[in-house]
Amino acid sequence: MVTINGLKKMYGRAAALDGLDMHVREGALYGFVGPNGAGKTTTIKILTGLLLPDEGKVEIQGEDALADPAGMVDKIGYVPDFFGVYDNLKVSEYMELFASCYGLTGLTARKRSMELLGQVGLDEKTDYYVDGLSRGMKQRLCLARALIHDPLILIMDEPTSGLDPRTRYEFKEILKDLREQEKTVVISSHLLSELSEICTDIGIVEQGRMVLEGTMNHILNQINVQSPLRISVYQGRDQALNILRSHPYVETVTIRHNDIMLNFTGDREDEAALLQQLMDAGVRLCGFMRERGNLESVFIQITSHEEEGRVLIHEN
Amino acid sequence: MKINPVYRQESRVSARSFRLPLIILSCNSLLALVALLDMYSMVTQVKATAEIQYSSFLSLYIFGAAIEFAMLLLIVPALTAGSISGERERQTLNLLLTTRMTPADIVLGKLMSCLSTVFLLVVSSFPILALVFVYGGVTGKDIVLLLISFGSTALLAGSMGICCSSVFKRTTIATAVSYCALAVLVLGTLALRRFTASFQVQESGGAGQGTTWMLLVNPAVSFLAAIKGQLSNVRRITVLEMWTGNAPAGLLARWWLGISTAVQTALSALCLWIAVRRVNPRRRRLWRG
Repeated sequence: MVTINGLKKMYGRAAALDGLDMHVREGALYGFVGPNGAGKTTTIKILTGLLLPDEGKVEIQGEDALADPAGMVDKIGYVPDFFGVYDNLKVSEYMELFASCYGLTGLTARKRSMELLGQVGLDEKTDYYVDGLSRGMKQRLCLARALIHDPLILIMDEPTSGLDPRTRYEFKEILKDLREQEKTVVISSHLLSELSEICTDIGIVEQGRMVLEGTMNHILNQINVQSPLRISVYQGRDQALNILRSHPYVETVTIRHNDIMLNFTGDREDEAALLQQLMDAGVRLCGFMRERGNLESVFIQITSHEEEGRVLIHEN
Repeated sequence: MKINPVYRQESRVSARSFRLPLIILSCNSLLALVALLDMYSMVTQVKATAEIQYSSFLSLYIFGAAIEFAMLLLIVPALTAGSISGERERQTLNLLLTTRMTPADIVLGKLMSCLSTVFLLVVSSFPILALVFVYGGVTGKDIVLLLISFGSTALLAGSMGICCSSVFKRTTIATAVSYCALAVLVLGTLALRRFTASFQVQESGGAGQGTTWMLLVNPAVSFLAAIKGQLSNVRRITVLEMWTGNAPAGLLARWWLGISTAVQTALSALCLWIAVRRVNPRRRRLWRG
């Protein structure tokens, strides 16, 4: 559906995007995550035609989006990270304004507006001024506005930032509805727990490059391998530490209370071998298991820049 | 007929707001006050001298038209300087740009909205200017010429306002720069013309005409040319003419209003082109520095 290859964008001397690749499947709810300044908003602006890249290719449904930006506007709906509303217009007028911007007028526009306002739960607010709406309602109005022309792809930049938990929940439910309608949705957010609940695909961007991308299941499997190994030592901690420091698969060692946390790069067979090695050395263990991973832990792991090599950190 | 969505939205909002009636009320009140005072002074003069000077009624027309012209120069930048920057401040410009609306549609929608307000203002003030028809002396052709002058002035001031609004992100700065640019165009060119003319007089010993062409961009001079053609025997015009210097001789003088309107329209087109370029997020740099 959306394919980005080698996208580069410089702001002065700083590279916002440094050869970003991205692949969004048709009907996917794609979570686009990364730390601040990673290049998410720049990518979204290029996708929506609000910015030109310095290099790279963007294809939407196999068509070159950079060569024909006018042809792409009907395919894309955009929800920015701000409300972007005219306070002195009524809700219905706001919807009709954007309907007319897409060439929809008269009864068709009114019907479509009412349908969408009903979908986002604002059908009883049509005669209200936008100024009088709450933050959450404004954001839902923005979502309805982005869907007015029935786009194939909906691109949302931090849509739930600044919303209270209740409104975030409602927003999430609307996104689930969109997924059922088989719309392709690209959503950038910092709320990783939410993304992992609703997204089918994830792309993690860091310093203008895609560092991890795939389906949710694929990513979660990777997380399980990359999660820290927790070893609870009953007796012989110093002996255990000596073994761990010299082990080829141990990257970092952290002592947390009575437990030892390891960044262990080996697979399950290597884990078994390490356990055997510790037991053979006479270390008495009462726990040995991988921490349960989630999207947040893999995000932290990928985006944190710890010094390489074996370090010993005491956390008390 | 498909109406520009930006124009329709702006018209709806301005019709709903308190600003439009307030502008029309205050402008027409000022015009009416001036007209009534002028008529009162004429009546008083008639009572004192028992002599009716019909040229006084024409001076009422000039005075009214001049005040309306000055109000255009003051109102139009205020109407347009926040047009694009306001969209940026509300963060709605990017939303419009992701629709089928082109940058040119957005800029023209804003300009049309401003010109509609000006049109409303001019039409609503006609009954006051029409007082002069009671006594005669002004023809329909004169009114058309005056309207052309008002139209080209509104177009130029509006285009400059929109251009500043697209260049500067904040409305306050855009408004200030719009007024400064208009002041340079109206007063600056006059001052420069007088300055260069005084040098030429010193050098050649005659009246300097060399830089008169620069007044072609000056909407005030075009307005004077429109009025002067109609009422060349009125003393006030001669007084105002002292500012512009002697009328340039030859073809330029004969077709001053037409040529200056064309030049100002071209200048407006340039301002609008800059605005469209500035609004377009996908513009490529004209040169790399």
